Amino acid sequence: MWIYDLRTLSFLAVNDAAVERYGYSREEFLAMTVRQLHLRAERSALLDGVLKSPVSSAQERTWRHVRKDGTVIYVEVARSAVDFAGGSAYLVIANDVSEGKRSELLYRMLMDTIPSSVLLLDEDLRVVLANRNFLDKSRRTNGVTAGKRLAEVFPEVILAEMGLEQQIRNVFTSSHATAGQRLTYRAPGVPIRVYYYSIVPVNWGGQVDHVLFLMDDVTEQTRMGEEIRRMEGRLASVVESASDIVVSTDIQGNIFTWNKAAQKITGYSLEELKGRSFLDYCDESGAPGVRRLLSSGASRESSGRIESNLKTKDGRFRPVSWVFSPMTDDAARTVGFVVVGRDLTEQRKFELQILEAQKLAALGVMARGIAHEIRTPLAISSSAAQFLMEGNLTPEFYRECAEKVHSGIRKASTIIENLLRFAHPSAEKNKTPVDLLRVMREALTLIENQAKVQNIEVRTHFPPEPCQVLGVPSLLEQVFINLLLNAINAMPSGGTIEVFAERTAGEVLARVTDTGEGISPEDFDKIFDPFYTKSPPGKGTGLGLSICYSIVDQHRGSIGVDSQKGEGSTFTVKLPLLFPTEKDSGEPPESSRSGRG
Amino acid sequence: MDDDPDICWALEHVLRGLGAKCVLAVDGQSALQAARHNRLALALLDAKGLPDIDGLELAGKIRAADPDVPVVVVSGYFYRDDPAIQAALEQGLIHGFIEKPFSHGEVIETVKSALSSQEAASRAVKLSTAC
Repeated sequence: MWIYDLRTLSFLAVNDAAVERYGYSREEFLAMTVRQLHLRAERSALLDGVLKSPVSSAQERTWRHVRKDGTVIYVEVARSAVDFAGGSAYLVIANDVSEGKRSELLYRMLMDTIPSSVLLLDEDLRVVLANRNFLDKSRRTNGVTAGKRLAEVFPEVILAEMGLEQQIRNVFTSSHATAGQRLTYRAPGVPIRVYYYSIVPVNWGGQVDHVLFLMDDVTEQTRMGEEIRRMEGRLASVVESASDIVVSTDIQGNIFTWNKAAQKITGYSLEELKGRSFLDYCDESGAPGVRRLLSSGASRESSGRIESNLKTKDGRFRPVSWVFSPMTDDAARTVGFVVVGRDLTEQRKFELQILEAQKLAALGVMARGIAHEIRTPLAISSSAAQFLMEGNLTPEFYRECAEKVHSGIRKASTIIENLLRFAHPSAEKNKTPVDLLRVMREALTLIENQAKVQNIEVRTHFPPEPCQVLGVPSLLEQVFINLLLNAINAMPSGGTIEVFAERTAGEVLARVTDTGEGISPEDFDKIFDPFYTKSPPGKGTGLGLSICYSIVDQHRGSIGVDSQKGEGSTFTVKLPLLFPTEKDSGEPPESSRSGRG
Repeated sequence: MDDDPDICWALEHVLRGLGAKCVLAVDGQSALQAARHNRLALALLDAKGLPDIDGLELAGKIRAADPDVPVVVVSGYFYRDDPAIQAALEQGLIHGFIEKPFSHGEVIETVKSALSSQEAASRAVKLSTAC
């Protein structure tokens, strides 16, 4: 408390409290003016005016005063005019409010540090306080914000659309905070920002007299969310626009997603088969494999491949090549499968075309072979007939010509017959139980003479008991005649033919081995093709081995060849035994030497 | 030369009618030997089905052994306008082509034409042999 002169502003009297608070001694006070107590920045004409202005009643105002040590204190001042020693003076009662002011500053600072926009609103929906963050984001100053109605701070459109005022009023009445809601707000000159806002009641002694309007700027998070959605959208469109079938299933193989290609190929939409088992759409031949992949896949990392037909909506099946890949979660547990399938329909069509082309090419080779084989005997008959027509022939030549005509026609007929047999070797109903050993012995008798002529020794190794098979004796005999003739033809300068027969489990094995020229490995594939021949002069139509193949095949057997070029060949015929017995487990065959060689 | 002895038989009789002497062969090796050891006026060759050599290849070998010998191919495998035969004719590798079955008149015509084209008419007509 002090008294100062209204004109000179000099201190006239100070009390002990002032001395104590400000740090100046009484003498120092009395030598100063009131101006000197004020912060230098506030020492203006205005201050002088205020200090000198006459007041009739008590006026309060907060000033910033500077103590002797230079620290600033906030002071609330009450003045009253007094007479002092005959002059006009003011009695000033100053109240140090620095402590409260500091709290307010701290509070302000805290508000401004909060990284959210905060508005404190009173019951009239006026802004009591707007923090720095709000002012920055909304590009407003405190002057045009504090004390204004909410409607002056936010655009009318937002308030109306969001029903903000009503929401705030509801909080006042209910005293319950609202949950976060989205608000898109565009301040003038700034890009659109997205906020999450909530309204929190400020409770004072059970009474809600203010609410906090809190706004969190989530523009960045929203943008990231959109980015993620865009990325997900892109991934989804990759799957959707793939030309391969992409299906995802759960661990049991129930369909979860089904892309457009799958829909296009099968006609089924995802809605129709979501949750149904993928197995339901595989055909019977493919289902076991798919089932195996689904059950084993759970424990495997690698993907499994399988070809299986896929059922379409119109009841047909399309060939599809599938790749099953297990789908794992973050803990590396298999939670389902990604199944990618490629429609093989086009590929199959292409393969068929190739096969057709190959058949045509084979037909071309065959046609040439037939032409050559048939035109030669025709040429002989034709030529011989031409001699006969000339007349004037010796009886011997006449007879020779007639024989050539006859033999040429016979040769041509045989070739045609062989061809027919090759094309339609069916003789199913003529099959009877027959001892293969007897068939082989008869074939050996037929070639006996030719072998002798070519200085070839024939050895047989037959088991003592008969080897019964079900077959056509004449056809089976032809197989062995052909094999034996081939062997003979392979040894123009003599050699050995060995003929084995052996009973194994359920089968009889017959082998014809020669010591002839042998077959080049590159010819292995071709020797059973019709008209493929390397036969010596005057022999072989190129049909012999293909007829053997056809006959053996017809008897549910197989024929194979093993050969070393220059060392000879072995042809093996396997036929199913008619009465397999317990002891047919590979007993060594009886070895005998045939005297026919 | 033909791997079928009966073709050799027929052609021999046709050519004998022309006063030619024939040498017969049923494979490439003996045909080549015949071409080397006899002064042939003409060679008649089968084109396919020879056990040891392709007919057109044999034609080339015979021509290499004796460039003056005209070669006529007798074949049931090729047809007259077959690209392989046309090419061989154009290259001068062979001088005539007879398709099986043949008429004797056609054989005589082709042989005469081949001989005149080669201007080798003075030589006696022979056909390789070994049968």
